[in-house]
Amino acid sequence: MIHVENITYRYDQNDPVLRSLNMSIGEGEYIALIGPNGCGKTTLIKHFNALFVPAEGDVLVDGMNTKDAAAVREIRCSVGMVFQNPDNQIIGMSVEEDVAFGPGNLGIPSREIQERVEASLATVGMTDYAKRPPHTLSGGEKRLVSIAGVLAMNPRYIALDEPTASLDPSSRMRVLDIMRKMNRDGISIIHITHDMNEIVHADRVMVMDRGVISLNEVPQEVFKRIDYLKTLGLHIPQVTELLLQLRQMGWDVSTNVLTIEEACSEISSSAGGFPKVISTGRVKKRVGENV
Amino acid sequence: MYNLGQYIHGDAITHHLDPRVKIVSVIMLSVLIFRADLLSGAIISAFIIFAILVSRLTLNHVLNALKPLAVFVFLLFFLHVFFTDGTALFTFSFFPVTVTYEGLYQGAFVTWQIACLILTAAVLTMTTPPSELISGIETLLRPLRRIGVPSHDVAVMISMALRFMPTLLEEFDRIRMAQMARGADIKIGSFSEKAKWAKALAIPLMISAFRRADELSDAMEARGYQRGYRTTLRELRITPRDVAAMALMLLFMGSVFISTGIFE
Repeated sequence: MIHVENITYRYDQNDPVLRSLNMSIGEGEYIALIGPNGCGKTTLIKHFNALFVPAEGDVLVDGMNTKDAAAVREIRCSVGMVFQNPDNQIIGMSVEEDVAFGPGNLGIPSREIQERVEASLATVGMTDYAKRPPHTLSGGEKRLVSIAGVLAMNPRYIALDEPTASLDPSSRMRVLDIMRKMNRDGISIIHITHDMNEIVHADRVMVMDRGVISLNEVPQEVFKRIDYLKTLGLHIPQVTELLLQLRQMGWDVSTNVLTIEEACSEISSSAGGFPKVISTGRVKKRVGENV
Repeated sequence: MYNLGQYIHGDAITHHLDPRVKIVSVIMLSVLIFRADLLSGAIISAFIIFAILVSRLTLNHVLNALKPLAVFVFLLFFLHVFFTDGTALFTFSFFPVTVTYEGLYQGAFVTWQIACLILTAAVLTMTTPPSELISGIETLLRPLRRIGVPSHDVAVMISMALRFMPTLLEEFDRIRMAQMARGADIKIGSFSEKAKWAKALAIPLMISAFRRADELSDAMEARGYQRGYRTTLRELRITPRDVAAMALMLLFMGSVFISTGIFE
């Protein structure tokens, strides 16, 4: 468990970035953290592994306080962090050496480092790139290497700061798949993103607004707060929005729908057959407007 | 494509030697080169040629290694030729310098020395991947830790400098393009204009390097980096081959030392 209790944090003398914030992350949870730019998402996750310590309040990682200097190293082993810019977190002169950096810092013997490097690279599918110098990799590949570098420390929690930003669609899918795979292996994931389509698989969505967690719910519940999300500049997935509007028009559809497949079956069961829905001129128009 | 260091992938004996053996050999050879005379100079030359051949380096590789310092070596050569006192060989009616026998000899000798030093170093860097080279330096520096040389940190520093060289070059290119896109004509203009453009390139590059360093230090800390002891992916291990090579080197160097009369 990561427990965040009433933390306040400010840069220099400015207004606080985090204001008496409370939250917790359970074992094996997949948490999506969303919110507009500058709301404090990155500042918050940097508290999880003691890069920042709160001015007020406490952060407890499996019972260890991040303020306790003696516990910092163990906290950093349990909480891995993937930063926004992969270029600035790859330290080694080759992919395998970079992945070995973390375990090397822990003083693990060479043989075990080699095993960990192999396993981590296999998880992210970069085994063939082991000897490549980092500057020859694409943006997506660099991102995968930075994830492998964190995995090699065997963390229990991994916080990823916009891991899919500026990636092409196929690399984006790859990164998301790997994140889900790590989650299935029992690692808690904290996923910062702006893309609402990426959070439909999360166990919980936390919406951050000016230094506090303003919503903390399962995705379906969060998406019902469409008007609030829009004031934050966030857009819910298109399928969810479509069903919400259909419902407003009086259709008997459930809005607890996140994927296109679910939406199809929901609409077709409500309208008594999918083809009929498509042929309804009025619905077509609404769909057109939304897209 | 930009290559980290000068390493040329290969499978020669020298590629498989422990980097420490190679580094120590280069240092010892450099000392020999500095105090060589005619006879030992010939032996050393033969040895360096032997090392190049054994490492299966081509003439191209050798020339590439020598090229960057060619101008410097020429300058040094002519300085010695013109400004050494001794028996005059030629004088110029229009130029108040004389070419002396001693000057010619001195110049040729210095040129030979520098060429030998470059080639010795080239054999090392061309047959040793940078990461191994750094491990080698780190382990050799370890005994100095007692007097406060942070060998592990030195190794991390060197490897990061090498790692970020291409990244910063790319960045430099990006900044140059960005300035050109906004109307900066970097290649033409007087010297003072060019100097102005240099500022327009250097300052953004510096700012971005500092920002990078900031994020990088966070990333390193997040992965448990602390000053002092750390382990690496591959530990260096001395094999019988390394012992044999080192013994041969010592034997060779010892005999050259004796022949130059250092013990007299």
